[in-house]
Amino acid sequence: MAATSSGAGAADEQSKGWAKTSLACSRSAASELDIGAANSAGALVAAALALPGVMPATAAAEVAPDQAVVEFKYFDYRDWQPGADRMRVISPGLYLLKPLSGSLAIEGTLVYDSMSGASPLFFNTLSGASGEGVKDYRTAGDVRLTKYYDRVAVGLGAAMSTEQDFFSRAVSLDVRRASDDRNRTYAFGVARTWDRIDPTNFAVENEKRRTVDFLLGVTQALSTNSIVQSNVTYSTGRGYYDDPYKPGDTRPDSRRVFAWLTRVNQYLPAFDATLKFSYRLLRDSFGSVANALEVAWHQPLPEGWSVMPSLRYYTQSAADFYFDPPFPRGFVLGRSYTADTRLAAFGAFTPGIAVAKTLPDGWSVNLKLEYYRQDPDWRLGGSGSPGIQTFSARWIQAGFSKTF
Amino acid sequence: MVPLHTTFRAMASENELQLWAEDASQARAAAAAAIADVARIEAKYSRYRDDSVTTRINRAAGGSAVAIDTETLALLRYADQCHTVSGGLFDLTSGVLRRVWDFSRASPRVPDLLSLAAATALVDWRKVEWDERAIRLPSAGMEIDFGGIGKEYAADRIASICTERGIEHGLANLGGDVRAVGFRPDGTKWRIGIRHPRIGGELIASLELANAAVATSGDYQRFFEIDGRRYCHVLHPRTGMPAMHWQSVSVVAPLCVVAGSCATIAMLLEAEAESFLAAQKIQYCAVAANGSVCGNAVTAAHT
Repeated sequence: MAATSSGAGAADEQSKGWAKTSLACSRSAASELDIGAANSAGALVAAALALPGVMPATAAAEVAPDQAVVEFKYFDYRDWQPGADRMRVISPGLYLLKPLSGSLAIEGTLVYDSMSGASPLFFNTLSGASGEGVKDYRTAGDVRLTKYYDRVAVGLGAAMSTEQDFFSRAVSLDVRRASDDRNRTYAFGVARTWDRIDPTNFAVENEKRRTVDFLLGVTQALSTNSIVQSNVTYSTGRGYYDDPYKPGDTRPDSRRVFAWLTRVNQYLPAFDATLKFSYRLLRDSFGSVANALEVAWHQPLPEGWSVMPSLRYYTQSAADFYFDPPFPRGFVLGRSYTADTRLAAFGAFTPGIAVAKTLPDGWSVNLKLEYYRQDPDWRLGGSGSPGIQTFSARWIQAGFSKTF
Repeated sequence: MVPLHTTFRAMASENELQLWAEDASQARAAAAAAIADVARIEAKYSRYRDDSVTTRINRAAGGSAVAIDTETLALLRYADQCHTVSGGLFDLTSGVLRRVWDFSRASPRVPDLLSLAAATALVDWRKVEWDERAIRLPSAGMEIDFGGIGKEYAADRIASICTERGIEHGLANLGGDVRAVGFRPDGTKWRIGIRHPRIGGELIASLELANAAVATSGDYQRFFEIDGRRYCHVLHPRTGMPAMHWQSVSVVAPLCVVAGSCATIAMLLEAEAESFLAAQKIQYCAVAANGSVCGNAVTAAHT
């Protein structure tokens, strides 16, 4: 249920065009450092520049969309760790993009995550042998209005997310400007997020956190067959960062995250395929440094099919105040401390495969499978945190969309 | 009277706590303390935690004795009493049997006699050396496992903590193990539904209680079926084979630990369960292998 640190960093990398606000990744992928859930609007800004699907061969000259798109996605996440519970999240969601005029478009997403549990109506509770019960829910939505001028596009967005123990609101502004020859686009974004944490174990009450995110980026078409994008993001926040579900967990009351993401898409005419490569460096004021490398091969096939295998490697160093279990010796009360293994040092691999097919009348369907496995031994250079177990997860994403 | 209702995850299950207090801050303080104690018990006794008491004791099996505190001693004494009362069926050392029964395999199989014999050789509570200060497992490979009473004990602790803080109406449910504090605020008894052992989401019976607990042991939590026979995780300590007579047994008792251990013992007693429960003067609701409901606690049977 971690309302605080969570792995949406992984989520917004994995689900580029899709809702950056996916709960399952944000709350349970015990993986990468978060620039996501705590800053979902920051992710909103970043995603505004994440061109859905395959990047086009030319830099996106800012042109208003002239077609509406409706997309339904079903997201199924499951994780497991030796000796610990399995977590399962199912999340259906809807995305809509609608041009309002020749120069104005609105888009929005709505996600409902629920982990089922029949609530007894007449009875006060149920006794059984299977450990089931009432579970958690989340609804999240965001909307963005984008106005297109001659070479500039300006977007204004708002997002909101409600869970049993976490409530978040954000607003964002993004501006994109194309160069004269339209081979280059500059992007600037800023977002402000307000979070409120009210854990179900009542360890704390009504804690708050405020974050501001900035993004600066450039996208450049290098040739008719290749395009590169580089974004720098900086996030600064103050407020409550502890994990209230872990006793003794005390983190600083401010956090700054710097990230630099570079993506290259190279179309290879000999194969009629696109090689995609991305590298992200992340530095966190909690003391952690993370690197992520991803490679994918997008291969169109006959009859409107396409397939894209991918592999991602992630490595992270531990936060300054991460202590290997059990409770550290010489610990001084008043200093930050966490035993949360999400802030430990480890490496992780995510192989994945995505398949899509376009159908008549603007329909298309897609399916993506990814398997994630994390291990302290896989940290680059060795020296992962001792005493933490491997963690595995898989996610399945299926969806269909219609353009009209 | 102000109600509070919360759900939380602990001990590998979904749990819920309902209570009524004079004001919101009293309710929150009681709930926070109760839930914190569940986390404490889990950290202390979970066999999955590297630094738990259970893991330390099990690691020292065949070696030296491990010191225990008053809380652990109380649990061991209770387990010892259950062992005696059940004729040895309730055995804190029977956790090792899970090594030969793999319920999560895609194509499960019944373990062979040799593996069962090797595992049951490590099960014998009478061989465990313990006193007020320490415990020692005499052979390497032996294990104690509080999984059979941990949740029930935590449910009772929730009730004590709430009562200490002046809460007079409350209901805790830890993964199906239920403990009530007092009556409902309107003076009526708490209505507890018993889950249907075969049809998920449905109920098979219901009962009412106040100032008491109900715990259910069943064959549907971890199991596999081969040729129409169900093999579940409630394992007989001497044969290593699963109980087969009941689909589930729910027991009502003043304390959840009593309800839980009696429910497990009843499952293992199979055909002799009802006379045991009658001798303990305990109310119960049991679902036989053929699906029929019996017992003296049932308010209503839903078929």
